[in-house]
Amino acid sequence: MTDTRTIANDLHPAAKRLAQEVKDGQLSRREFMTRATSLGVSAAAAYGLLGLKAPAQAQDVKVGGILRCAMEVKAQKDPRTADWPQIANVYRGWLEYLIQYNPDGTFEGRLLESWEVNADATEYTLHVRPGVTWNNGDAFTADDVVRMFARWTDASVEGNAMASRFPGLVDEATKSLRDGAVTKVDDMTVKLALSASDIAIVANLADYPSAVVHASYVDGSDPAANPIGTGPYIPQEVTVGQKVVLVRAPNHTWWGGTAPLDEVHYVDFGTDPSAMVNLAASDEIDTNYETTGDFITQLDGLGWKKLEAVTASTIVIRMNSANGDLYKDKAVRQAIQLAVDPKVVLELGYNGLGTTAENHHACPVHPEYAKIPAQTINPAGLKPALEKAGLADAEFEIISLDDGFEAVTTDAVAAQLRDAGANVKRTVMPGSTFWNDWQKYPFSSTTWNHRPLAVQNMSLAYTSTGSWNETGMANADFDAAMVKALALADADKRREVMTTLETILQDEGYIIQPYWRSLFRHAKEGVNVDMHPSFEHHHYKWSLA
Amino acid sequence: MLKFLIRRLGVMILTAFVLTFVVFFLTNLPPNLEKLARSEGSVRMTDESVQNWIIENGHGGPLLGRYTQWLGVSPGWTLTDDKGVTRGRCITIATPVETAPRFCGVLQGNWGQSTFAKDSVSSVLARSLGATGWLMFWVMMVMVPIALLIGILSGMREGSRTDRSLSIFSIASTATPEYVSGVILLAVFASVNAGISPLLVKWGWISDRTLFFGTATSAMDKITFWNFALPVATIALYGIGYISRMTRASMTEVMTQQYIRTARLKGVRFRDVVIKHALRNALIAPFTVIMLQFPWLLNGVVITELLFNYKGFGWTLVQAAGNNDIDLLLGCSVVAVLVVLVTQLISDIGYVFLNPRIRLA
Repeated sequence: MTDTRTIANDLHPAAKRLAQEVKDGQLSRREFMTRATSLGVSAAAAYGLLGLKAPAQAQDVKVGGILRCAMEVKAQKDPRTADWPQIANVYRGWLEYLIQYNPDGTFEGRLLESWEVNADATEYTLHVRPGVTWNNGDAFTADDVVRMFARWTDASVEGNAMASRFPGLVDEATKSLRDGAVTKVDDMTVKLALSASDIAIVANLADYPSAVVHASYVDGSDPAANPIGTGPYIPQEVTVGQKVVLVRAPNHTWWGGTAPLDEVHYVDFGTDPSAMVNLAASDEIDTNYETTGDFITQLDGLGWKKLEAVTASTIVIRMNSANGDLYKDKAVRQAIQLAVDPKVVLELGYNGLGTTAENHHACPVHPEYAKIPAQTINPAGLKPALEKAGLADAEFEIISLDDGFEAVTTDAVAAQLRDAGANVKRTVMPGSTFWNDWQKYPFSSTTWNHRPLAVQNMSLAYTSTGSWNETGMANADFDAAMVKALALADADKRREVMTTLETILQDEGYIIQPYWRSLFRHAKEGVNVDMHPSFEHHHYKWSLA
Repeated sequence: MLKFLIRRLGVMILTAFVLTFVVFFLTNLPPNLEKLARSEGSVRMTDESVQNWIIENGHGGPLLGRYTQWLGVSPGWTLTDDKGVTRGRCITIATPVETAPRFCGVLQGNWGQSTFAKDSVSSVLARSLGATGWLMFWVMMVMVPIALLIGILSGMREGSRTDRSLSIFSIASTATPEYVSGVILLAVFASVNAGISPLLVKWGWISDRTLFFGTATSAMDKITFWNFALPVATIALYGIGYISRMTRASMTEVMTQQYIRTARLKGVRFRDVVIKHALRNALIAPFTVIMLQFPWLLNGVVITELLFNYKGFGWTLVQAAGNNDIDLLLGCSVVAVLVVLVTQLISDIGYVFLNPRIRLA
């Protein structure tokens, strides 16, 4: 691993204080790493602050070999519109990121060597990694970085997942990059001047749609068609629904040295998890994308290694007041929320492979998580609340996907509501139709992926203007508190605001958020891969023994 | 004969016309187009962007107009966006705006672009039909000889013990649909924790964990007995029962004919009677049935290919339908029409040669 440059004298003032908190036992090491690295402290320096050595990557990895991974092969998309991690895992072979989020909670500079943030998170200085070249021979420079910010902030592109991520860089009138927001200082330095504080810039730059493409890339085209990138591999074959073959980029010196594997193959075996067990048994794959439910013990039984990632991935069974008349009354929503015991849902819906959550979508692994008083589960309160609202006979339809833990979890919620006296109807839909209207169902379940900061999901999902708002929640106090929280680079200060955010969200009663999922995958003995909380595949870290 | 062929060809074209129009109409219903927009654009697009996407990608305007574009009798759509980039039906990376033809439909030999596979429909179909072709070939190789053998053995002595036991087998197998037999075969032969594989492992008879492969995906690259036996058996089992029942019926009928009795009375050995005298006449009916199996196999492969994850025609059809891939679905329908009518044609013509009493008008 090439560690980011240590700028000891420029360490963010908060980082040293955080290190002290770890020593005093107020902060876990994992949280410290997330927070310190998002302040621009390199992973090595952050470990250094704790008086530890950065975990060295094994030096003697064997170079060579082909690794076969079972994963759905979806059609490639313009990275900024990519909507599944599986899509990104393919183009990760040749496209890289400015910053990478590592499974241990740290942010690592990849195409950026390092970055600095000022105290109120309105100014970022990005230092481009020297010596990086594209596989067509062009040098990677600050111009590429500036160009990427223009691409990301272009809201005229339908489905541009990055457009809403950089509010401080966007000109509201033109819905594109504001003049002077991103400036090239010299060939190796870029300065971001934000109109308002934004603490999520670093995390957003590490998310899967933010892959860096070459200047010649045609907007909206298949990135595999003309695979110019900075990464160690290129796609030899991408057949949707079938197979991807990544091979070493010819005549290309990758800045990171030599990636151990000669080839990475992704094979699409469909989504039936029982097939995965047979595939593992008949040695058709070396590792899989994800193992869920009962199949975890089955693959363990085959002698495969279980790889776990502790995450803030979750499932939210939410009501929508904009599309469901039944859910306009806050008292009804609260009664429904409190009729569901998270412990039971975790046990029935996810085999207990996680931890219970608190109906406010902030997870203890998030740096700004604030502990608020526990709710009292009260199934007996549902019936009176429904009667009071005149909904005693109303039918509550709960929609979910037709398979997997989504269906089982939603069933568990429905069963508890029935036990509490509500008239519940369950509807299941296949993925192909479910996602068409996922934001609009009156009462349904949605899975949410892990994000490094709690405010990221919260601002997307529960502010009145959030682009993924699926509840119809529009609470002015929540919106105002969110604006405040997004301006606090220091997680400790943000935690005070988080208390307000968590309390309002819980009190509004829109969401039943029963548990946090741990994520698992399996690998054959002798295959070195890791599980990432956001399903990212960092091919260059993989090897065969 | 020529008149007959021309009439058949006409029916074929007319059927293809009607079927493709129905498919086109169904895939172009507004909710289906919205689904397409979301899977192509982004799952999390707003309604407004979805409507824009539909119009900007040539799915706006009257239905008939778009159908004729697919046929190639009206010019393909083009659209220039605010950034000055022109896109259109006939414009691809290989044929930029300047050289793109005005018409590009089926009549020009362009089957369109699959939105799901991000490839041209003709190459997707060629690939998947190739895969299904291998599956069908092996199914036929297994199914036809076994079915005929069972049918003849049970038909030559009606009511005998052989007849009864073989009939039980063939009735049972034809009464078991693929989605049942496939799952049973998987559980018995290719499961790590059920069926015979765990036992074989315990006894040390096999080194792998399962006897057969649970998927046929690796057969896409290289067909082996271990990865292809189960899907072939799944499809063949159903057909074996059906064809052997037909063969048996036809065989018993032949065996009661006068000339068979005469031959027996003249002292010809029973074996020679069956092989030399009865067989040819008894095979006329099964021949038609076997030809009719081809179009039916196209249905059978849908379930089997999904179950065993073998990416042939059936799998492609399901993916195309699931993703509302308009051009690919239209291509699949034309292929289906062709397969059905061509095999019917062969069966009709072949019948004439086998049975001199029939003539084609």
